[in-house]
Amino acid sequence: MFEKVLVANRGEIAVRIIRACKELNIRTVAVYSEADSNSMHVQLADEAICIGKSPANESYLRIDRLISAAEIADVDAIHPGYGFLSENAHFADVCESCNIRFIGPSSRAMNAMEDKAVSRVLAKKAGVPTPPGSEGTVENEQDALQVAKKIGYPVMIKAVAGGGGRGMRVAHNDISLVKGYHTARTEAEKAFGNSGVYIEKFIENPHHVEFQILADTKGHIIHLGERDCSIQRRNQKVVEETPSPLIEHKFRKLRDKMGKAAVKIAEVANYTNAGTVEFIVDDKGEFYFLEMNKRIQVEHPITEEVTGIDLVRYQIQIASGEPLRHKQGDVTFRGHAIECRINAEDPFDEFRPSPGRIEMYYQPGGRGVRVDTHAYAGYTIPPTYDSMIGKLITYGKDRREAMDKMSRALGEYMITGVKTTISFQQAIMQDPNFRRGVYSTNFIEHLLSGARRELIEEKG
Amino acid sequence: MKKNSVSEFELEKEDFKIKLKRGPSGGATAPAVYEENPTITYTPPSSIASASPSQMTGAPTLAATHIMSGSGEQEIKSPMIGTFYRSPSPEAGPYIEVGTEVNPDTVVCIIEAMKVMNEIKAEAKGVITQILVENAKPVEFGQPLFKIRPN
Repeated sequence: MFEKVLVANRGEIAVRIIRACKELNIRTVAVYSEADSNSMHVQLADEAICIGKSPANESYLRIDRLISAAEIADVDAIHPGYGFLSENAHFADVCESCNIRFIGPSSRAMNAMEDKAVSRVLAKKAGVPTPPGSEGTVENEQDALQVAKKIGYPVMIKAVAGGGGRGMRVAHNDISLVKGYHTARTEAEKAFGNSGVYIEKFIENPHHVEFQILADTKGHIIHLGERDCSIQRRNQKVVEETPSPLIEHKFRKLRDKMGKAAVKIAEVANYTNAGTVEFIVDDKGEFYFLEMNKRIQVEHPITEEVTGIDLVRYQIQIASGEPLRHKQGDVTFRGHAIECRINAEDPFDEFRPSPGRIEMYYQPGGRGVRVDTHAYAGYTIPPTYDSMIGKLITYGKDRREAMDKMSRALGEYMITGVKTTISFQQAIMQDPNFRRGVYSTNFIEHLLSGARRELIEEKG
Repeated sequence: MKKNSVSEFELEKEDFKIKLKRGPSGGATAPAVYEENPTITYTPPSSIASASPSQMTGAPTLAATHIMSGSGEQEIKSPMIGTFYRSPSPEAGPYIEVGTEVNPDTVVCIIEAMKVMNEIKAEAKGVITQILVENAKPVEFGQPLFKIRPN
């Protein structure tokens, strides 16, 4: 087991990793930028090393400085957290070549999943379906019509160079396809300098369902069930829960089927350590592989609550060479867990980020309430990084209890000095469709437009 | 080497030994200026135990920063993370002592990271009044190394 670990991250996940290390009797080294000198992770670690000025590319993204810090502190391993360099194959390589264990997958496994195109090939190899679409770009109108006929309407025309929801058009028939195809190409050329487009099946009311997997260095891979992350705003997750109401109420058999598919994908990629396989599921229970995230995820706590398995601890153990102690049959799921992300954003002003000093801070407690945060009264949230204050997780014997606890906990949560999304989360918890468990990725869009708005303002 | 403002580099492995030295850099050169590669190049062995400069992402700015303290003194702060050395080698004498007059280009110490010895310049003109770090101790970014009274 490692004696000393450097945490190459900040905020709540750095606190999480430090806690896991402490419980394993591992000494911890925090790194921080000048903006984070008062941050909680710096206080909790055994040692702390300043690695640069506040911009991430002058601190948390600087491989040379992270390695120098690891050197002078003489650490055995580095935990990269999520974001930053956690999925950077080069960083993983540099660590290993400096005899520092990287707590995550190997660079080879990362490269096997490096982009959507590569992942699709891998999924095919694993026999896992991907969203039907054109193989590569569509060069002319005739091909476009052919592809659309083959996969069936509605379809989405996407720019290859696009991203973040940009450069996409939906077509429901041949006429709108032809029109959309030409417009999309012109737009793409203008916006991205690349007119290449491809066509993919448009999945209406999609559900984002992801599976947690763990793989040791001896080739054993298990899944730890799903997380439904369909409640998103502009492709950012807002609420996550497990089990997925869609699977639990409508398509029970999917858990096993998708779980096996997730394990197969990890196997084909020679994956090690913790990872998450993302799928999209339609209203008929058809599922398609989207991509694999090669790191610990923000929403990992809900899986921990329902399985009783400490994922970050497992990451450290696997990285130090220990085999998995659980076989698939040993993994059990009990109860229901929900996570609400609490951000320093103003839900009444387009979710504008609201950095600044937290004046009063009281976090909820009681049975089945967990808060993963680095915030405290008097802490100043810097403007340079993400707006996450923390994660509020509730656990109950069933979904109803978890939701009721979440409402109770959100009502207790007091943060002044900065704007937060607490009231917005409460509106979601009270929403009849959410309570029924009937929602897809357009849930928040519907919540924010139209009549639901006064519900949020009322809760504020 | 130019990229990291390194003047001297020595590496010895079982199958080869190399020593590179750049010519004196006359006049103030801002660390952010990239110049052409040194004339001698070497291919590192395939398994690298000590990182070569090409592995570094971005060029660390080696400009020491200064802060004014009440008594008219400034601090020379570390621009990087590593181990602080007062002299160019264990046998040699220290670069500076209390009382030494320095110019912006005067090398005041070495900070070693990843087996690369980086010469740190004063970036200020004045007299050294205090040495704040012990030889061979680790230093972090922004850590005060010396106090200087500018003139």
